[in-house]
Amino acid sequence: MDSECEETYDAVIIGAGAAGLSAALGIVRSERFRQLKAQGHTPRLLVVSKLQPLRSHTGSAEGGIAASLGNLEHDDWHWHYYDTVKGGDWLVDQDAARILAQYAPQTVVNLERSGVAFSRTADGHIAQRRFGGHTADYGKAPVRRAAYAADRIGHQILYALWQQCVAEGVRFAEEWYVTDLVLDTEPNASQTDGTTDGTQGERRARGIVAFDTHTGKTHAIGARNVLVATGGAGRLFHTTSNSYDLTGDGMALALRAGLQLEDSEFVQFHPTGLAHTGILLSEASRGDGGVLRNAQGEAFMQRYAPEHKDLAARDVVSRSIMAEVDAGRGVADPKDPDGPKDCVWLDMTGIDKTHMEEALPQVVETIRDYAGLEPSEDWVPVKPTAHYTMGGIPITTDGEVYQWSDGARWIVDGLFAAGECSCVGVHGANRLGGNSLLDACLFGTRAGEAIARRLGETAEMEAESPQQTPQNGDEPGADFAKEYACVRQAAKKRAKSVTALLADAASAETTDTTTGTDTGATPEPAADAGQPRDDNPYQLLAELGTTMERAVAVRCDATSIDKAIKEIELNLTDRAAALRPHSDSPAFNQELTAIWEVGNLLQLAKAMLRASQERHESRGSFARTDFPERDDGCFLLHSMADAHGGVSWQPVRIVDMPPQARGY
Amino acid sequence: MGDLGGGATAVTIRVHRFTARPERAGRRSSSPFASKASRASSSPFASRRSSSPFGDSPSAPKPRRRTRGKRWTQDYTIAVHGGETVLDCLLSIKRTLDPTLAFRYSCGHGICGSDAVAINGTPTLLCTAKVTQYAKPERSAHGAASSADERFRRTGSPSDGDADTDTNINTDNASNETAGDTSATPQAAPHTNHPSHLGVIELAPLPGFPVLRDLIADIDQMMAQIKRLAPYLKADGKLARTADGKIDMFEYLQSPEQLKRYELLSNCISCGVCEGSCPVYAGGEAFVGPAALIAQARFINDSRDQAADERLKAIATQDGITACQSVRACSRQCPRGIDVGEEMWQLTTKVNGD
Repeated sequence: MDSECEETYDAVIIGAGAAGLSAALGIVRSERFRQLKAQGHTPRLLVVSKLQPLRSHTGSAEGGIAASLGNLEHDDWHWHYYDTVKGGDWLVDQDAARILAQYAPQTVVNLERSGVAFSRTADGHIAQRRFGGHTADYGKAPVRRAAYAADRIGHQILYALWQQCVAEGVRFAEEWYVTDLVLDTEPNASQTDGTTDGTQGERRARGIVAFDTHTGKTHAIGARNVLVATGGAGRLFHTTSNSYDLTGDGMALALRAGLQLEDSEFVQFHPTGLAHTGILLSEASRGDGGVLRNAQGEAFMQRYAPEHKDLAARDVVSRSIMAEVDAGRGVADPKDPDGPKDCVWLDMTGIDKTHMEEALPQVVETIRDYAGLEPSEDWVPVKPTAHYTMGGIPITTDGEVYQWSDGARWIVDGLFAAGECSCVGVHGANRLGGNSLLDACLFGTRAGEAIARRLGETAEMEAESPQQTPQNGDEPGADFAKEYACVRQAAKKRAKSVTALLADAASAETTDTTTGTDTGATPEPAADAGQPRDDNPYQLLAELGTTMERAVAVRCDATSIDKAIKEIELNLTDRAAALRPHSDSPAFNQELTAIWEVGNLLQLAKAMLRASQERHESRGSFARTDFPERDDGCFLLHSMADAHGGVSWQPVRIVDMPPQARGY
Repeated sequence: MGDLGGGATAVTIRVHRFTARPERAGRRSSSPFASKASRASSSPFASRRSSSPFGDSPSAPKPRRRTRGKRWTQDYTIAVHGGETVLDCLLSIKRTLDPTLAFRYSCGHGICGSDAVAINGTPTLLCTAKVTQYAKPERSAHGAASSADERFRRTGSPSDGDADTDTNINTDNASNETAGDTSATPQAAPHTNHPSHLGVIELAPLPGFPVLRDLIADIDQMMAQIKRLAPYLKADGKLARTADGKIDMFEYLQSPEQLKRYELLSNCISCGVCEGSCPVYAGGEAFVGPAALIAQARFINDSRDQAADERLKAIATQDGITACQSVRACSRQCPRGIDVGEEMWQLTTKVNGD
């Protein structure tokens, strides 16, 4: 890293997890990029991330990445395709799922060739294991399809992708928080600004505004190609397996830029999070003989799924646990005995102790470390934990973001998305294990390749009319300045808002009566005794998590959704708007970013609740107790929710397989 | 995380805090692309780094400067049940007592590597450290001083306590701020004599790294050192494509035995605990550091990598493996269970064997 951040880049990627890094590699490894580089016109690429890339949540993925490599038994990508569509309860866009399954082997092989330390078969090939919902011969028998690296596949993939980016000299702006996504509307097109219903196409990516958390400075970064890859939004819920940074930033950026979110009501809950920590206890704990029990000690799964019992599909088990809790048969987390009775027991005492240590080392370690219990003797409190957002920013199979309007997809020129924050339509109403890393890597790469093609086109156009845009290093011309004026304006506005927020903190500080003594330093005010400035984003995050969990975690109905919308509109939104940091120091002011994160989550929660309100059926991960059946007649449709409460519907793309019942 | 309120007992978290002064012109670059103040301008490593492709500005090394700012020690006393991690405590403090307290955290279960700090002087991760494991009774009125004594002894860089700093973090006249909340206990109260008080846990930023704010350390130098040594697989570099539904290339073959030689090394999460534990590195000597060397060992032992000789040559330098003094403090706290010291020794043997 040898120079300052520039004012414009040819492409900017937001987020440095599997999707963002795959996109970066998709660009720099492309034929087109290499040609441009050889011609001395290396496109300038910047990856902006709120975390150092190696801290990305991709690193937490444990199980595997699905691909029909057939290294251990015969497999076929058509079967993977079918399983993905069926697993998603037929809310899957089949054109996208087809690509996912067909290009999965290439994706996994290239990860291996990039350095991933996959576990191996005896003959040296990538090892594969069974995973829920992955079958041979269209549902006939389980198949070993998930390529794995012990129980650390995410860490391995994240590191290999980052390492390859280092090899390619990809430039990063680390611990920069993106506050604004800037689009404009092409002047000669429709004059609607697109913030309400003006989805007439012609909208273009112009850049981003990014806040450097190290210095507190706001940067305008102009770019004709922007890719959003910020991950999921598990922090909407109190109990989640997601890291503290999964606050749906990219999805909220899209909403605030006037775009929509697709299928946002579909959130996968993993049934066995370790009580309130949300940390996952692998499905293998039940696979090897663990049994779920209610407050009365009853092994209740046999009532809900007589055939598969504790090994039924994730959404089935999660719903059964919630039904027990709702019926008053839940238990409290022993760490918080007076707390809510919202857990059930996972009884692993029937598993042979030696076998448990050998087969489930991570599960055993997690239970010992984070619950202080001994799984061979104690029952362990578990509850469903928010795990994955199936929905997100709507994209085509080339990663292009679009708006759905008047029954058509309108591409936003130059705007791309990939990974969990996006929705290409492969997961439908419920994601299969092993398909999330695959989605992020495969469609991330495709989006990168699509950007590279655009960079090539731009270069060709510039070669034909060089006066249109200044060459790299020239003084920006008038047209050029005009093109990115909207980005500078947005940055100015943001900088002003930051200054105001910090000034409020400073004025509060002067009223504080701290008694710093010996050090000669004035300590930060811990809190003002005299002023009611006790609200803070961390408190609000906790309240939002509780609100969302009560309303829509695992199951919901009209009443619970309405209640959450009211709570957000009448209480949380105003409080979030009134939040001010308690320190006026701009550098590493984490509270400032947390204030933005709360705002993002609230924005997202509203869209999610509106989509939930409108979907009058139960499908996959989405269960309405007042509409318990799947309704293909009315809702074989993707919800498209905007920031203003509007929800429209887009038909599911059915190519090869007509909907069937989803039974396992 | 569940609320910690209503717990059966309490613990005091003592945090060594720091806030940088607002920048003045030319003090420090505003960008992550620009160079950070290097730790020791006299070090041959620092100057060499400037010329590396992943090093900082190619311009002459800037004189070493320490960021000015306020340093103080703050006590927070909170209710706990006993099963919490230290990270749980800090998050509770952020939510209920002091939202200004700054520390890195992300996954919360020991895989992201972002939350390495010194707990009672020992480098480790906030999210894996248990309250009961680290809380200890305060032994004297000069509590901060006595725990400071137990802290890792800094061996190098005597200029660390230079005039640029307002107060040294190791000072024993810490100002004990009372967090303005009902559950905060004034410092005057003798925690240790209270039957239900677990004691004190002292937190400071990771040793050997410049502090940026409170418990947030500047890891740019460590990352630059890791990157400097080409931390990526060097093989034929060819990638597979799909044609007619089939791929045209397969994975590199590697036996389970070959995998075993580097698998554990590939689990490194770049948290910096080994570096903060290393008296040579944390002492400010010119040393590329154990984290960068583990990243090299990972590829040297990977049967797919074709650049082992190159790599061994690159680390056989004064500030490379040669700077390792085999103290093996790096092995003790590795959150991934890597015997870092042993791996350093293996590298030394390999380098010398050539």
